[in-house]
Amino acid sequence: MEVGRLPLSASQRGKLISAGYTTLASLSSLSPSHLARDLRIPESEAFEILRVASLGCRLEQPDKRTAIVNGGQTAWEILNEEKLYPRITTSCADLDNILGGGINCKEVTEIGGVPGIGKTQLGIQLAVNVQIPADYGGLDGKAVYIDTEGSFMVERALQIAEASVLDMSQYNELLRKESRACQIKIQPTDILEKIYYFRICSYTEQIALINYLDKFISEHKDVKIVVIDSVTFHFRQDFEDLALRTRLLGGMALKLMNLGKKYNLAVVIFNQVTTKCTEGSFQLSLALGDSWSHSCTNRVILYWNGDERNAYIDKSPSLRSASASFSVTSKGIRNSASNHKRIKLM
Amino acid sequence: MKPEKLLEHPLATHKLTLGCPVLDRCLGGGIPCNSVTELVAESSCGKTQFCLQLALFAQLPPSHGGLSASSLYLHTEFPFPFRRLHQLAHSFSSSHRNLIAPDPCEDVYVHAVHDAHQLLDIMPHIESFLASSKTRLPVRLIVIDSIAALFRGEFDNTPLDLKRRSSLFFKISGKLKLLAKTFGLAVVVTNQVVDFMGAIEGINGLRVGNLSSLHSSGRRVCPALGLAWSNCVNSRFFLSRNEEIVRRENNGSEDNLCRQTKRRLDVVFAPHLPQSSCEFVITKQGVFGVDR
Repeated sequence: MEVGRLPLSASQRGKLISAGYTTLASLSSLSPSHLARDLRIPESEAFEILRVASLGCRLEQPDKRTAIVNGGQTAWEILNEEKLYPRITTSCADLDNILGGGINCKEVTEIGGVPGIGKTQLGIQLAVNVQIPADYGGLDGKAVYIDTEGSFMVERALQIAEASVLDMSQYNELLRKESRACQIKIQPTDILEKIYYFRICSYTEQIALINYLDKFISEHKDVKIVVIDSVTFHFRQDFEDLALRTRLLGGMALKLMNLGKKYNLAVVIFNQVTTKCTEGSFQLSLALGDSWSHSCTNRVILYWNGDERNAYIDKSPSLRSASASFSVTSKGIRNSASNHKRIKLM
Repeated sequence: MKPEKLLEHPLATHKLTLGCPVLDRCLGGGIPCNSVTELVAESSCGKTQFCLQLALFAQLPPSHGGLSASSLYLHTEFPFPFRRLHQLAHSFSSSHRNLIAPDPCEDVYVHAVHDAHQLLDIMPHIESFLASSKTRLPVRLIVIDSIAALFRGEFDNTPLDLKRRSSLFFKISGKLKLLAKTFGLAVVVTNQVVDFMGAIEGINGLRVGNLSSLHSSGRRVCPALGLAWSNCVNSRFFLSRNEEIVRRENNGSEDNLCRQTKRRLDVVFAPHLPQSSCEFVITKQGVFGVDR
């Protein structure tokens, strides 16, 4: 059924099918008001359905486009599309710099580090920052936060959200000197409301949730980031069969990557650090083994450099390897304090 | 599967008071529920004192910082300090007479555990015990004192044994976190320290958390069970003791040094807390923070 393939909500799809619209051709010569009457929905919604259908229609007829395979794009198109979408800021300018402006949508970014380095803090910060309104250069999206370790604390999220709202209103005041900008209306609790929080207690639950995410996000299209804190915890418990673990993880990574592409959202995965024994000597590396390290587009490692927290781009197809310092403050992730001093001295 | 509504959670996680406002302030209200908290220290720093105190204060009503709950105390080091618990219970019940049952010891369930496998074996029993609600007050606190003692024997220092050991860590921690989430428990585990060996820096000297190095009794130490276990707890607090010379007394020919033990509590890492620390003393009545 062609209609079933359209990225519509289940209820809309159901209404279409029960009203007899099963093919894309049946929708092609329809006016929004006609469809609205047939389905008993508001005209704006009908318009949206027709827009989605015509988009789907174009993809079904490759001869009109230059693409060889359905849904294929040229590199030029992809580049232009990427420019359209802002990146998700980390609230730390130095970190944004080495990431090329922030966390990119459509990509899977893995972030690893020792306990206490600030992985969870960064995760909460990103879940808050994805909600920054478009007026302030944000995505105005929502976040899915998958907590496998139980480290997500509502009070901390609220604290970071409060700081974020404060920053926005300060920015607003700066703007108002030149032109009248609109008053900021976001409450910190609104930010919490836009974080879909899942607490996962076993690896089967984790796999089930990743499988379900596709459906969930198709119903919540404004989700722009999926944070998994951490992907590792349940997979280090009890796996006699390491080949099975590799397969499960590989499948999960593939699904996450597809999710990122399909819904144009960022996927951020946190990983733990482990000691790896090679030829009798121990070395530090991210957990889950070598084959897992291929599953993510970008890999960022967080580490201590003296008393300073640093981030290092370990792997990325488009960014050069670089490192930057950041700090975890009461407001969340910010530039490193010592860096400020350096700038002031200059 | 449905996402949880964050606004339906209490905006601040339920916390179990440590029984002292100074300590509570340092830890943002106490030990958080739905979470695994670790106390790391060398012996005689006061780990067990903290645990016993928590087991008693959990019985207070929420309005007084408690959880209106009984506690399950799994001890792996012998013998269980019944006398000390009794002593603490005595002063506790005399200062909170109207808030708790006449004998607070009755609401502390004690169980001995000898090794890691036994702990995993009794997990299902613990779960049914928590679910049965046969206790006068529901159990909302599990203490494991100490986790390190479970792994004392049995495991060699070979890669295979270390791997087996760390998979056990994750299994135990996964179960504890599941229980914590299901029943809204505060889980407190204690851990020992090992001396820091300079020779194998890199791995052993790896910095975990706010403090670049941990010192106790004038020695550099690091938490036992290594990096793998550090990944298994949500928060880690470090207790230390150091002898300090408070004053010099010169009576005649003898030069007397007056020494005093300074005890400190440090936040090594916690998702909800900044780096902070607090000095504390242990008295007959329990553990108390020192306001400075």
